[in-house]
Amino acid sequence: MHMSRSTLLRHAVLFLLLAVVLLAGTYTLSAFWNYNLAEIAIFVIAAAGLTVLTGINGQLSLGHGALMAVGAYTTSLLLKEQPQLPFLLTVLASIVSTGLAGGIIGVAAARLRGPYLAGATLALAVGLPQLAIHFGSVLGGNQGLNVAPPAAPAVLGGDFPEERWLAWIAIVAAMITLFLLANLVRGGAGRTLRAVHDNEVAARLAGIDVARVQVLAFMISAACAGLAGSLFAYWVGITAPTGFGLQLSLQLLSAIVIGGLGSLWGAVWGSTILVLLPVWTNGLTSNLNLSSDITNNLPLAVYGAVLVFAMLVLPRGIQGTVTSLSGGARQWFLKRRLDQRTAEVEL
Amino acid sequence: MRTFLILTVDGVTNGFVYAIIALALVMIWRATRVINYAQGAMGMFTTYATLFAISHGVTYWLAFVIALGGGFLLGAGIERLVVRPVESRPPLNVVILTLGLLILLEALAPMLFGGQVKSFPAPFSRIDLSIGTTQLYISTFDIFVIGAVILTMITLLLFFQRTTIGLRMRAAAFGPEIARLLGVRVGRMLTLGWGLAALLGAMAGVLIAPAIFLYPNNMDEILVFGFTGAVLGGLDSPVGAVVGALLVGLGLSYVGGYAGSDLETIGGLVILIAVLMVRPQGLFAARRQREA
Amino acid sequence: MLEVIDLTVAYGGVVALDSVSLTVAEGMITTVLGANGAGKTTLVRTISGLVKARRGRVRVAGTDLTGRAPEAIARLGVAHVPEGHGIISEITVDENLRLGGLWRRDRADQRLAIDEAYELFPPLLARRHLPAASLSGGERQMLSVARALAARPRVLLLDEPSLGLHATVLAQIMDRLRTLTRERRLAVLLIEQNARSALSVADDAVVLSLGRVVARDRATQLAGDDALRHAYLGF
Repeated sequence: MHMSRSTLLRHAVLFLLLAVVLLAGTYTLSAFWNYNLAEIAIFVIAAAGLTVLTGINGQLSLGHGALMAVGAYTTSLLLKEQPQLPFLLTVLASIVSTGLAGGIIGVAAARLRGPYLAGATLALAVGLPQLAIHFGSVLGGNQGLNVAPPAAPAVLGGDFPEERWLAWIAIVAAMITLFLLANLVRGGAGRTLRAVHDNEVAARLAGIDVARVQVLAFMISAACAGLAGSLFAYWVGITAPTGFGLQLSLQLLSAIVIGGLGSLWGAVWGSTILVLLPVWTNGLTSNLNLSSDITNNLPLAVYGAVLVFAMLVLPRGIQGTVTSLSGGARQWFLKRRLDQRTAEVEL
Repeated sequence: MRTFLILTVDGVTNGFVYAIIALALVMIWRATRVINYAQGAMGMFTTYATLFAISHGVTYWLAFVIALGGGFLLGAGIERLVVRPVESRPPLNVVILTLGLLILLEALAPMLFGGQVKSFPAPFSRIDLSIGTTQLYISTFDIFVIGAVILTMITLLLFFQRTTIGLRMRAAAFGPEIARLLGVRVGRMLTLGWGLAALLGAMAGVLIAPAIFLYPNNMDEILVFGFTGAVLGGLDSPVGAVVGALLVGLGLSYVGGYAGSDLETIGGLVILIAVLMVRPQGLFAARRQREA
Repeated sequence: MLEVIDLTVAYGGVVALDSVSLTVAEGMITTVLGANGAGKTTLVRTISGLVKARRGRVRVAGTDLTGRAPEAIARLGVAHVPEGHGIISEITVDENLRLGGLWRRDRADQRLAIDEAYELFPPLLARRHLPAASLSGGERQMLSVARALAARPRVLLLDEPSLGLHATVLAQIMDRLRTLTRERRLAVLLIEQNARSALSVADDAVVLSLGRVVARDRATQLAGDDALRHAYLGF
């Protein structure tokens, strides 16, 4: 992993700046918007991990919602037994437990490709939450487990609002995750992940242990999902099976494709849309007097329509379109300059 | 023994419904290398429309036919308008497209038809039959379901193997470029394929609704189990799809009956992983694999 | 009958065909020769519609084919036998043959055409109900040509039929080809790397190099032109 020091530094500065800007920004936002900001940051963590697995390493996972559930339940269970556990500890435990789960899944799925992998992870997404019901006495069954929101440290003042603290935690976690993944993706590891995706046979011939790479990719993305899941548990306040159904997995996957597959920035755009679109739709309908059937389902209908529309119109997702547009613009400018120069010479 | 029989009949009956979905998925996969994740939701949607017709005086059988026809049109329309432009793009885009359709349909249905759980009529009695004093653990409706599915499979087989249009569809699926050079309108064959698959999905929706009721997400699990069956059997094999789906049906039934109903899906997952670890391309995978 | 006029094809920035023109009359075989990458396959793929031309026209008996879909071009009587057999292995030999003529309205003639195809290539008859995958290389090539002919085309495009074929089988096929071309007044465009065999069966020859026509003559003349043969054909 020969990561140039300047890139490392560049990333560090970038994410540090972003963090500072966002943290400061929370002061200007209402509680509602801080709450949403926290949700976006949480999804960014999960989506970024999924980007590494599916976008870069090419393994399609329809089950990352279930992995988030593992993270959420780890935290919730620990808190149930020991309500005084420090927040950092529960989060760390979730990362480890989910990372291990990802490793197990990765091993089981190492030989699966394409739709076969999709099928297996799909079954996981639908089946895993049911474990919570089966072991209802421990895992809370359908009602779920309650999670108390983390208290802001005393140094910030006694009246530091809860949602702002949640947003701060989520933002910092997201920035750290993006920093780590950005460096991973830029360096040799990223190249290896991509190599396996592009041409497995060639990668094997080049001496890469493909199975090991596949499993590691799963573990990394699972660790991210675990972190996101843990924070999600704090954010929602209740960890129940219904919160982690198939829909969550599908939302994560669609977010990274709309945002721009294979790009960490894409994960950011996608997560933003994922959270803001329903908020915006709800905002629209709240003024109209519509039946509950419509108001309950319109946000989802809009999201589905956006997905279909986006795939028809923006095949490379948002980040991909931005890149190609800016590339096109650059070419246009260069050509113009070249034409002007040529005209000058001819004169 | 008694439990075993009940579970077996349940498993087989359910398995046959999963088999229809599995066949629909395999049909589309063979033709376009796409998994239509919206297959179940499309079936759910036509089932809602069918219930609407029935509740407005249309007889069950006429409504059934309308369901099949409507499903066909829905599938063909979706292929032509929405899937065709995306077919040549990166494969994950098509996945997201079908997922988008899934989400859209599952949200549209309650908006149009109301979101509360509805019951759906069965044309035959769902009470277990008995000859004299012996209980048979199977109802007339169960027999109808199994019969309808078997009849459909035979019809499909004859259609694909004995008709010229079936030949064209197979050619379009196995060798689209060559088929084009032979004058086959491959695009039309694909539309037809999606239409047929959606017809199967509509049938599945109507056949399973009496047992599991009608609500927007009711086909989610059916899709998962049908997909599992198809993957288990090997996505390129219709025979594999049916066998796989029956195995899934039986497996889920036994796990649910002997270990607990909430372990059903996990049980299915374990069976799937176990098979795929030994044969990553499914049970009936051809030795010569086509490129995905 | 087959006219290619000023055809230019480019893939991205690479020009594969540069203003290529040629004509093939009824009952004649024209062979297109040249090294790998000269543009021969691109030429036939453009004629049959699999590739879109940037400029130029393709006409068959006066009808403009340019820009049409491959299936429409096939239905206008253009049969393309692609490089590497181009049979569908998952269906039977008989089904492959039937596929060629399915779009034609004359059902009786369809069956007749298939029977004639079996007469031309008896080894196929024995295997008619087996999957095409079970055929040997030579038999697959036979099937490919038979299938093209079963559609009763007016224009026949053959892309490297000699690939992987035993010399005797090749001679057989080429011999039949010549007879058929005359009998049925076909316009045949024969792409070949094996220039020697092609020149022995063709009437006219066109040599492509880097997408351009560099030589055009009667096949016998070209075969006798040593300088040309050394430069472009390697023998």
